Amino acid sequence: MVKMFKYALSLILRRKLRTMLTSLGIMIAVMLMTFILFGMTDLQRAVLTQFSSVFKPTDLYVSSQDFMFGGMLTAPTKAEEEEKKEPVVVNADIKEEILEIEGVEEINTIFVINGLEMYLEGDDTPYPMNILQSFDLPGDDESFISFVGEDPVLKEDGIFVSNFVVSFFELTNEDIIGKKIVAKSLPSTSFISAANKNMIDREYEFTVQGVVETSNDAFWINTDRALDILVDIGGFESKDEYIEKIGYSQLLVKTDEEKTAQVEEYMVEEMGLSVISTKTVVDFISTLTAGLTIALIVFGAISALVASIGIINTMIMSIYEQTREIGIIKAIGASNIQVLVIFLIQSGLIGLIGGVLGLSITYAMMQIADPFIVEVLKEQGFGAIDKFFYFQFGNALIITVSSILIGVIAGIYPAMKAARLDPVKALRYE
Amino acid sequence: MSYIDIKNLKRIYQMSKEVSVEALRGVSFDIKEGEFVSVVGSSGSGKSTLLNILGGLDWEYSGHVFIDGTDIKEYNPNFYRRHIVGTIFQQFYLIPSLSVEENILLPMKFTGSKDIDVSKRLDYLLDMVDLKNRRKHLPKELSGGQAQRVAIARALIDTPKIVLADEPTGNLDSRTGESILNLLKELNKTEGITVILVTHDKNISKKTDRVITLVDGKNV
Repeated sequence: MVKMFKYALSLILRRKLRTMLTSLGIMIAVMLMTFILFGMTDLQRAVLTQFSSVFKPTDLYVSSQDFMFGGMLTAPTKAEEEEKKEPVVVNADIKEEILEIEGVEEINTIFVINGLEMYLEGDDTPYPMNILQSFDLPGDDESFISFVGEDPVLKEDGIFVSNFVVSFFELTNEDIIGKKIVAKSLPSTSFISAANKNMIDREYEFTVQGVVETSNDAFWINTDRALDILVDIGGFESKDEYIEKIGYSQLLVKTDEEKTAQVEEYMVEEMGLSVISTKTVVDFISTLTAGLTIALIVFGAISALVASIGIINTMIMSIYEQTREIGIIKAIGASNIQVLVIFLIQSGLIGLIGGVLGLSITYAMMQIADPFIVEVLKEQGFGAIDKFFYFQFGNALIITVSSILIGVIAGIYPAMKAARLDPVKALRYE
Repeated sequence: MSYIDIKNLKRIYQMSKEVSVEALRGVSFDIKEGEFVSVVGSSGSGKSTLLNILGGLDWEYSGHVFIDGTDIKEYNPNFYRRHIVGTIFQQFYLIPSLSVEENILLPMKFTGSKDIDVSKRLDYLLDMVDLKNRRKHLPKELSGGQAQRVAIARALIDTPKIVLADEPTGNLDSRTGESILNLLKELNKTEGITVILVTHDKNISKKTDRVITLVDGKNV
């Protein structure tokens, strides 16, 4: 076998240019496949890394509806549509009920106020993200990467800003602390909470109490203050009324590591709540990337098919060129199977050359592009990403073996044709 | 006792449904072990057909060919071509991209392990065909006589018992042809190989132990 391999190798090396040109077809298909498989896996990893940097696996984000994905995880079935119930209001009773579930350790309340333009005092440019959140966690909580400031517990008029905000207003962490942030309501913006005419032309002032490093650009205020604002712009009588009718935007439910799944299942199945967990996000991202990968692989497969036609063509050309040589080796004792194997090795080698070249070139291109992609991702809020493209041994192996297989499969017909050649006729071939 | 025994050998080529050509019409002869025999005949007499059958390239014949008492149809065709016979062609049929020694060793790529020291055998044959200093040369760098000597060495590398030579001097000038013939005679004597040489040249055939003449597909 080794001798035949060497002989087959010598045959394809005799026609270097043609071998290279044929391999080029496979190379392009492999480049496409590498980009798809590596790229999608890297994208999935980047999103998950980013998600993991913000969310812990034991944290469950509970709301009355699918807060993060807007209920787009899967299309509802007919039965689900029929069974559709009114969303549960995540009010104080629900919070109490959750707290009693076995495995729940702590609950933090979250309010999200949309539609407020955020200004730094003395600067007319609003921050480009109109979301104000409340979070009853201290600034030095492990949910944040770091905290700069004297008091990590938010005061009534205090506000934490993220490092993105500091960067946007071109200040240092130290300089921004103590400055005022003004939130102005926008009449044209729809609110996530109930709204009425009270919401127009409202202004709320906060003092920057600390800077938190996160992978999100955001502002955080005291929960009570957030509730005051929501009551004010919503035209409610009291905080209790707001919580009773509208409820918390979200609850951050911290769970025992071993009970997370059970708690999640109970809240979804028994309480009709929408829960976002690490598992939900991983499943969502996996579904999304798997779908995209399959769609893109179809294009790669078409490219591979075209490349395999190139191999068939080249191998048939080789048979015509090597007809006499096939006759000679048969005359001196090569069997039909040996001729078949020699041709399959040749086509497999063409596939291998294309595969290795395609893989290497694409990976090199990915490494060159990596710093730029990381920079763009960081600008888009993917602060936890330091490297996007990684070498994936498993996918590289799949791609290489597939390219060899494409070569071998494409070589079957020409190899059988060569193996069946009559040695007497082959020797006489001009 | 005969070493090669050919009995009533017939070969018909079916050119189309209506047209068939009888290339061999009952050839029968025998050859002793170590004999140097020439087969002569005019063009179309069936010489090449006979050689293709003896060389294991054509198995569509009727009749029998016995070698050392065994009907060659009992052999695996590839085994037969690898180990029983070695064939030398008029056009040499060397692989242009392979060096002299690679061409000589080519049959060993398709054979299983055999109890011979291949490099020793190669050196011996290169010495025998006087091409030791040309072992790394490509066929295009050789003269016709040298190329044919490479083909002879290739035919002998796997120590066959029988060498079939199809017009081995046909593409060579008379002097070079003479030297090739002498080489074959020497190998016949030193290695004890049975040689069957096909030629249309009566001067060549005269120098062999025995001449078998084919006329219209039959030996006379």
